Amino acid sequence: MSDLVSRKLDVIENADPMGRGPDDPWRDFRTVERLDMELHFQFKHSFGKLSPFFLALEERRLMGTRCTECGKVWMPPRVHCGDDLAICEWVELPGEGVLEAASLSAYTLTTGGGEDTLVLGYVTLDGADAAMLQQVRNCDSPAPGLRVKAVWAERPVEHPMQLFWFEPA
Amino acid sequence: MSAGEDIVVLGGGLSKFARERPDGTPVDWMVEAAIAAMDDAGVDPAEIEHSLVAYESEILARQLSMGQVIQDALAFCPRPSIRVEAGGGTGGAAIRTAYAYLKSGLCDSMLVVGCDAVGRGVTSATVREVYALSGDVDFEMAAGGFFMAYYALMMQEHMRLYGTTEEQMAMVSVKNHRNALSNPMAAMPMEITVEDVLASPPVVAPYKRLDCAVLADGAAAMVLATRSWAEAHASAWRDKPRVSLTGVGCGTERVRIGDRPKPYPGLAHYRAKREASRAAYAMAGITDPRRELDVAEVADTYTGAEMQAYEDLGFCDHGQSGPLTARGVFDLGGELPTNTSGGLIGQGAPPGAMGLAQAIEVVNQLRGVCPAERQVPDARRGLTDIHGGTASFSVVSVFERRD
Repeated sequence: MSDLVSRKLDVIENADPMGRGPDDPWRDFRTVERLDMELHFQFKHSFGKLSPFFLALEERRLMGTRCTECGKVWMPPRVHCGDDLAICEWVELPGEGVLEAASLSAYTLTTGGGEDTLVLGYVTLDGADAAMLQQVRNCDSPAPGLRVKAVWAERPVEHPMQLFWFEPA
Repeated sequence: MSAGEDIVVLGGGLSKFARERPDGTPVDWMVEAAIAAMDDAGVDPAEIEHSLVAYESEILARQLSMGQVIQDALAFCPRPSIRVEAGGGTGGAAIRTAYAYLKSGLCDSMLVVGCDAVGRGVTSATVREVYALSGDVDFEMAAGGFFMAYYALMMQEHMRLYGTTEEQMAMVSVKNHRNALSNPMAAMPMEITVEDVLASPPVVAPYKRLDCAVLADGAAAMVLATRSWAEAHASAWRDKPRVSLTGVGCGTERVRIGDRPKPYPGLAHYRAKREASRAAYAMAGITDPRRELDVAEVADTYTGAEMQAYEDLGFCDHGQSGPLTARGVFDLGGELPTNTSGGLIGQGAPPGAMGLAQAIEVVNQLRGVCPAERQVPDARRGLTDIHGGTASFSVVSVFERRD
């Protein structure tokens, strides 16, 4: 393999995946060259009308929204009601609630905060009518029905959703 | 076409599903599948009036506008084309869109071709990260959420409500991997045991590695037409058992599981599948699906997801999928054999192709041309169920043999 192409990754002599031997209709096209390529995006990612929720996290406040028509409280917040489309209003919720379900994950995304494993759970905050996904920490048995409280990060984080997680209340 | 005319499936073809296809590109595979489908249908490619391209995430193949790229590669220009995307439900959306185009008279014949390249050309970590963008980004993905976890949390609730067990889930994995043994197009044919599944590495509780469908490369294609076009243009109409698309329904659901109404669907159920199947059953005149269907391909992104689907598709009551699975109701030889192809777990899961691959398996079952190991005797009516997200988009289709 020559080194005239700097991004050349490999050259593969492929077998026919269907094993047709001399009857392989694509026999003239089984040599494949691959390059090492990457794609990188950078965004000015906007939280839009939901920005007050994320800004309030920096003040250790959990802001939901209440529908001005039906009174349903959305957490995570919605700018307009998910049931009737009426424009909502901000309402502060206490930092405690009930764990609905939880799972231990052996995989994490880059958004997972750098841990090898994590527990993700759905928590319905007191006063809310929907459940929000968040990490559950310092909990040996995250069983449904467990009372949990928001715990706040002491150090700077990359994303506002990393400013809090839930632990047993 | 005339009003009320049948929409017929004239043929289908796959390009092999595999964990990695270093032998080509998505365009190469789609062309292979399309040629196979047009051969199966016995049609002249130059006579097909329209194409439809089903593709989810071509950004993972460093390509955009895959619909236009494929149209060129297939030598279909300047004929009309449409590209369809609905996440994992893309293949279902393709079938339903084809039905609408053919019924409306926009065209009388259509080549439908679907693909995704999500094998090892990109890392699975990259795919997980990109696919997380198809759910809630600002709250759930930012908190560390991703699709495996969402499915796992739904199943935790199903276990809590109904006592569904990890052993029952493992039985689905054993069945689907085994069914794939007679499928040369399958990525993951395996003879395994319940113990193997339970002992496989944990992913997100309750799911282990062998509970999960595998990301795969591959393509699938179908030829659909009105009956009158088929009579005039397709040798399959004369030479092969005739199969019609007699029902197709769509349903949707809130993206975030925690936003879904309680008690139904709550965290544990797929309301979009109930909606989609009810619409499809009404079109096809089905009132008791477990008895009136002979074969089904159900979205088995995870073993538990297949079981949850049985319930919302009306195969059984809520909470009954575990006991019925243990009884073998959905095995080959059982009351309603499900995922005879191997499903997404055994055959593989390239999103744009998998809904079409399901339909091709059902059509081959109804034609009676599957290998003997997995042929359902005298199959007359079959179903496909496929979804995107955690079934925030769902399509159910019903196919029937007509002779």
